[in-house]
Amino acid sequence: MDRRSSIKTLIIISAGTALLPSCLQDDEKSSVSYKKIKINTKEENLISELGETIIPKTNTPGAKDVSAHLFALMMIDDCYEPDKQNQFEKGLKEFDAFSKKKFDKTFVQCTPPERLELLKSIEDKKDVPGNVTFFYNTIKGLTLHAYTSSQYYLTKVHEYKLVPGKFYGCVPVKKAS
Amino acid sequence: MGDNKQSRTFDAIVIGSGMSGGWAAKEFCEKGLKTLVVERGREVVHLKDYPTTNMMPWEFKHRGEVPYDIQKENPVISKCYAFREDAMHFFVKDTEHPYVQDKPFDWIRGYQVGGKSIMWARQTQRWSDFDFEGPARDGFAVDWPIRYNDLAPWYSYVEKFAGISGNKDGLPNLPDGEFLPPLELSCVENYFKESVAKNYKDRNVIYARCAHLTEPQPIHAEQGRGQCQNRNLCQRGCPFGGYYNTNATTIPWAAKTGNMTLRPFSVVHSIIYDDEKNKAVGVHVIDSNTKESIEYYAPVIFLNAGAINTNLILLNSVSKRFPNGLGNENGLLGKYVAFHNYRARISAKYDGFQDSKTDGGRRPTSAYIPRFRNLHKQETNFLRGYACTFSAGRRSRTDTNGFGENLKNNLMASPGLADWGIGSQMMGETIPKESNYVSLDPNKKDNWGVPLLKISVGYDDNEDKMIKDFFEQMTEMYSKAGFTQIETSDSKQAPGLDIHEMGGVRMGKEPKTSLLNKWHQFHNCKNVFVSDGACMTSTSTQNPSLTYMAMTARAADYAISQLKKGEL
Repeated sequence: MDRRSSIKTLIIISAGTALLPSCLQDDEKSSVSYKKIKINTKEENLISELGETIIPKTNTPGAKDVSAHLFALMMIDDCYEPDKQNQFEKGLKEFDAFSKKKFDKTFVQCTPPERLELLKSIEDKKDVPGNVTFFYNTIKGLTLHAYTSSQYYLTKVHEYKLVPGKFYGCVPVKKAS
Repeated sequence: MGDNKQSRTFDAIVIGSGMSGGWAAKEFCEKGLKTLVVERGREVVHLKDYPTTNMMPWEFKHRGEVPYDIQKENPVISKCYAFREDAMHFFVKDTEHPYVQDKPFDWIRGYQVGGKSIMWARQTQRWSDFDFEGPARDGFAVDWPIRYNDLAPWYSYVEKFAGISGNKDGLPNLPDGEFLPPLELSCVENYFKESVAKNYKDRNVIYARCAHLTEPQPIHAEQGRGQCQNRNLCQRGCPFGGYYNTNATTIPWAAKTGNMTLRPFSVVHSIIYDDEKNKAVGVHVIDSNTKESIEYYAPVIFLNAGAINTNLILLNSVSKRFPNGLGNENGLLGKYVAFHNYRARISAKYDGFQDSKTDGGRRPTSAYIPRFRNLHKQETNFLRGYACTFSAGRRSRTDTNGFGENLKNNLMASPGLADWGIGSQMMGETIPKESNYVSLDPNKKDNWGVPLLKISVGYDDNEDKMIKDFFEQMTEMYSKAGFTQIETSDSKQAPGLDIHEMGGVRMGKEPKTSLLNKWHQFHNCKNVFVSDGACMTSTSTQNPSLTYMAMTARAADYAISQLKKGEL
């Protein structure tokens, strides 16, 4: 059921994207409605681009391909305490300010190398506001979570076996499949 | 229209369809008794009503997590380790069935056919005379009216049907049973077993006996159950019937006889006592949907509602003869409630066996350290002792530092292995005390007009001393094995979260000091039996479900023989 409804959501999103020029969408409501957090299309797009910078598409799917940003926002909306949601929203607002301070443009306007440099400075904790770090860590954690628990990852990369069968208590590491 | 007293009269009534009620139903129906099983929750049919059982991790919207609002509204049940997105539909939400906590008590409930047998942890260690003789030796509670030998054949009886895996270890404090083959211990579990055997003559590390079909027998095939596949997703209900729950075993077995009438959505208000006949004659049920009051009748009534709810029903069963609750002439009903002390854990690392690991299935059990403290004689400053779980495994380790292509490459590569992680949890016996009791709230009632239960159960310093000893002894045992980074923790969790609450309707030899006799019969109301956790005189350290099952089969056998003799 969940999977079906999320596929349906994806179809609606892509249809929406195709119909509306992006400039009109900027301050519109996000593609998915949230119960608690306030997210507009521009912010949703930022989170999508940030996720893709963390886990980029190469010859294999990236964060966007598994809709990691939608998972992340849904989790923050449904599973986070109000305090964390507030800090996330603050961090989200401050994130672009941080980007502008460094490159004079928003994260989405940055070139791929600039985006990487920005993330490096956050990870290196160079003059980074606490809320920005919180926002980045939240999105990174949830992007990883989305990616490594996605159908793609658990069928094509490291297969999750629903019915694994025999348990071996002690085997050599090398022989392991 | 057809709803005459005749159609509401049975040969036996079983209240509750969980771990012990399922056994009462099976035994009565097999012996030809027309049996009514009343269950306050909904029907859960094996396979059909396990909605999440075959779901993949990515199919869960929150990947297993329980949303914040649900946790916030249900602070008690949210503490339970198994209350996760895949099984939360089997647990009672705080908001649905309130109770009064005189002292903090986390009451974990599953209101449905099968009860908590769907989500239990499946550990099935027998009790021994070190447990049954405990109260008499150490001078607490009252002497049990039974000993291990009374129960031994019934342990065998239920084990063969349920399917218990284990190793014959020959330990007097943890008697062997009818075992299917054990699963393997891990390299480090075996290593620790040897280390403990070398360093302590009276301590053992064994494979924990558990209700998993490692090698199904014809009796299990007849139940339609197959081999455990090491999914370790038991709490969802098993598509193979690989572990024991009531829904896959006793209830369909009882239904097959044609003698069982299962009535879900039936809240038992009270047991009806007839002051002229001087016995119980039936149960007063309230349909949980329509709120209709209905009376059902039978010459024998088994209470298997789950320890605390059995107390509630009895306290609410008032008559001229028993104004303070059924059978409660000595004022002890609801008192001497006890539980298991599950607060303490210890963890460590081991840097040996670097070239070895576990592989294949997700083993649904662990190793086990039977109680060794105060076993043969009192040797510490606290009463009784504790058993411990023991498990050692290696987690896969993926480097998730950084971002971009480096991170991605790490995610796509074969994961590495962390050092062996070691862990134990204490399972401590607690001492039943008069001051630990349940009672009816004088004012508040639930949606069906049944008074709310008030729970007043707490720890005392015996628990604190025991935890200290567990930390000391396990630290020493871990250290002697060369484990490092040893860390202890006391969760300070409230009683109840162990989900091993027992007592309130204790067995004993004397009507003055107990409520039930050695056959689980009320001393003063012979056709009412209690064979769930409420009957327990003391708590042992072992997981109690197997003992409830054996006790229920034994009590039902006795009740049937008494019925035939016209004694009830």
